[in-house]
Amino acid sequence: MNQTSTIPDFVSRKSFIEVDGRKRAQSLFDEGTWKELVGPFDRMESPWLPLQGVAPQFDDGCIVIKGKIGGMAAVAIALEGAFQGGSIGEVSGAKMAAALDLATKDSVAGKRTAAILLLETGGVRLQEANLGLAAVAEVISSVLALRPHAPVITLIAGTVGCFGGMSLAAGVSSYVVMTREARLGLNGPEVIEQESGIDEFDSSDRALIWAIHGGEQRVGMGLADALVEDDAEKIKATIREYVQADLLPEYRSQQVELYRDRITALDTSAQIDPISLRREWNNTTTGGLR
Amino acid sequence: MKTNLSLSEQTQQQRPVSWTTRRDEKARRMQSVEPWMKGPVLAQEKIVEALESVIASGDRIVMEGDNQKQADFLSRSLVQVNAKKIRDLHLIISSISRPEHLTLFELGIAKKVDFAFAGPQSLRVAQLLEDGVLEIGAIHTYVELYARLLVNLVPNVVLVCAEQADQEGNLFTGPNTEDTPVIVEAAAFHDAIVIVQVNQIVDKLPRVDIPASWVDIVVEADKPFAVEPLFTRDPRHITELQILTGMMVIRGVYERHQVQSLNHGIGFDTAAIELLLPTYGESLGLRGKICRHFALNPHPTLIPAIESGWVQSVHSFGSEVGMDDYIRARPDIFFNGRDGSLRSNRVLCQLAGQYAVDAFIGATLQMDGDANSSTVTTGRLAGFGGAPNMGHDPHGRRHSTPAWLDLKTNPSPNARGRKLVVQTLETFSKGGVPAFVETLDAVEVGKKAGMPITPIMIYGDDVSHVVTEEGIAYLYKTEGIEERRRALAAVAGISPVGLNAKPAETAELRRKGIVAYPEDIGVQRLQANRALLAARSMEDLVAWSGGLYQPPAKFRSW
Repeated sequence: MNQTSTIPDFVSRKSFIEVDGRKRAQSLFDEGTWKELVGPFDRMESPWLPLQGVAPQFDDGCIVIKGKIGGMAAVAIALEGAFQGGSIGEVSGAKMAAALDLATKDSVAGKRTAAILLLETGGVRLQEANLGLAAVAEVISSVLALRPHAPVITLIAGTVGCFGGMSLAAGVSSYVVMTREARLGLNGPEVIEQESGIDEFDSSDRALIWAIHGGEQRVGMGLADALVEDDAEKIKATIREYVQADLLPEYRSQQVELYRDRITALDTSAQIDPISLRREWNNTTTGGLR
Repeated sequence: MKTNLSLSEQTQQQRPVSWTTRRDEKARRMQSVEPWMKGPVLAQEKIVEALESVIASGDRIVMEGDNQKQADFLSRSLVQVNAKKIRDLHLIISSISRPEHLTLFELGIAKKVDFAFAGPQSLRVAQLLEDGVLEIGAIHTYVELYARLLVNLVPNVVLVCAEQADQEGNLFTGPNTEDTPVIVEAAAFHDAIVIVQVNQIVDKLPRVDIPASWVDIVVEADKPFAVEPLFTRDPRHITELQILTGMMVIRGVYERHQVQSLNHGIGFDTAAIELLLPTYGESLGLRGKICRHFALNPHPTLIPAIESGWVQSVHSFGSEVGMDDYIRARPDIFFNGRDGSLRSNRVLCQLAGQYAVDAFIGATLQMDGDANSSTVTTGRLAGFGGAPNMGHDPHGRRHSTPAWLDLKTNPSPNARGRKLVVQTLETFSKGGVPAFVETLDAVEVGKKAGMPITPIMIYGDDVSHVVTEEGIAYLYKTEGIEERRRALAAVAGISPVGLNAKPAETAELRRKGIVAYPEDIGVQRLQANRALLAARSMEDLVAWSGGLYQPPAKFRSW
């Protein structure tokens, strides 16, 4: 029997998933360089939630933090998964879009300001309906405006994942970073099951869900760029690399032909399994993956 | 009347004609299925007809099914028998877990039931009882139910499950052996018919768990028997209150009384304790001093404690889904067969948990001011399972251990020691409902179900310690019912029971060591942080096991 007690290193790591959106965003910045914009004390809360009997939150579940990462200007925008499933509403959407636009303004003026989107969200906040949809559109156009001037990095850590409208924002960002526990997809498992039936997608089959939406698969397929462990230090280092990276000549979302061809080339006569899809898509030599 | 018969001839005359009615009846029934059998092996497609032939209306049937494995092929087949032919069976089942168990009653195939637990079907049991569709013999604890198979609930037919059988009918029940040996024994040695569903019939078994001479009919099932990962708790969901409670248990109960052997009930409270041993426990220098021997299912959350050298032995009621490879690789710790895999045995582990361990600890949902507790809630007849067996102080125990002696409050050499029965609960459960109540829901449920006594899970007088997020009540130290109530109230927060506490009395109880708050036992509330857990996710548990633990899909998030 093992007589000496050895505690593996991972036990003492600082978990990123364990902390809330605000602490996650703060942890990415150089010590002492960050400040929160439009914080909870500004009380910018949703006017719509109380009308429907839902308690609003002073930050509307969206945390904006500006500071320096690896000495370079950056803004982190985090959606708090624990508040209304990280859903995006009028106020949180406006905060996100405005922060991205300010980063664009600074970048254009010569002070390159990267943006990090920490997305733990099911997408549009149903209680705010069209306002939420409009917010998604604004966020996407703001990401597209910033992207040519500074990197836009989406970080999905889990455990909520990134679904719905905000998955589109992830799709147009310069880089996507995920953990194994994170999920990324347009429609969430329950929605697919509800719309197409349990034979199409069994939303209680967790192995299936992660084989389709999970971080390992998304990175393996080339739809996300880096797979990181749930370790605050490692995540911080990865984000710093992308903040400092050169701008890309072409982005994943611009490679319409590449993906169209890949989808056409898929043999759908048999059920495609996740591993072979990874092999087929990620080993391809037809141009860049972004 | 005058007679010329000798004494022994006279007795012969008065006795019944036959002493072999059970044996003869079994032979008659077995003959009827003979054409469909090859040795002990029955053709799968004949199972429904075979059940109709070997079972008679009114029979006592044991259906194997506990909170883990289930003879589900046989229960699904029994539902298909002709309900005009077979009626009013008396079902004996340790856990009513599957919907078809109750369908048997709706169809009239079964009428009466004796059981121990009905967790997943508890709502429907209560409804069927109210509708008069089902009669309850009694609600038991696990060991009670098995004991009665040997006394006055002797079965006519038992339906059990095994992993593999060979052509002769020897059985390999494997890691999930659980209840099968006792059920088969009660039947095989009293001329009942033993029917076994197996996942597979093979030429050579890894090991023989049950010999062929105890088995009558073997049938290969359409799919492997159902088994639930009931003892798996995802560390992700352990809260900081549970961590605080766990820290208090380690310091104020395990360390205080030198608890070396124990049973942990299921739940996040005990999972937290298991995950605090390699970190918090280690920092207190307690390794090797406490928690060395366990009688419990192979909880995945125990892996870090095993890997860091805390645990010397674990005997198990059953196995746990995903743990088989890990257990196989740790034969010094677990009870494994020559083939390398675990052999569990619920009855023996229950015995170990009652007579051989220092302490039982388990969470409960509701407790009254006298420390009576119950997991029964309104509208549900959930039964007891094995908790009452574990959660009592067995007066038949005679051997001493430091912990058992430490609870002896009477200095007389004629007084006995005491097993620790520790109950943990948060003063309020989810949704702000107080967990400490004036009257248990069980009282009303018992009345409604026509039970002669209230279905109390663990009686207050058996409970030695109650641990809440507020503190520990050392109930075994109290003198008289009034002091007991005051001690319990002192840790019951602002629940209705807790509001009876008076600050002056509580201070006095703390001074006497009958109540301890975290600061009284050197536990710092602010230290109760998730970073203290040796594993914070299922992935961490897999990493601790070196990849040997394979969590079932429903616990995976990667």
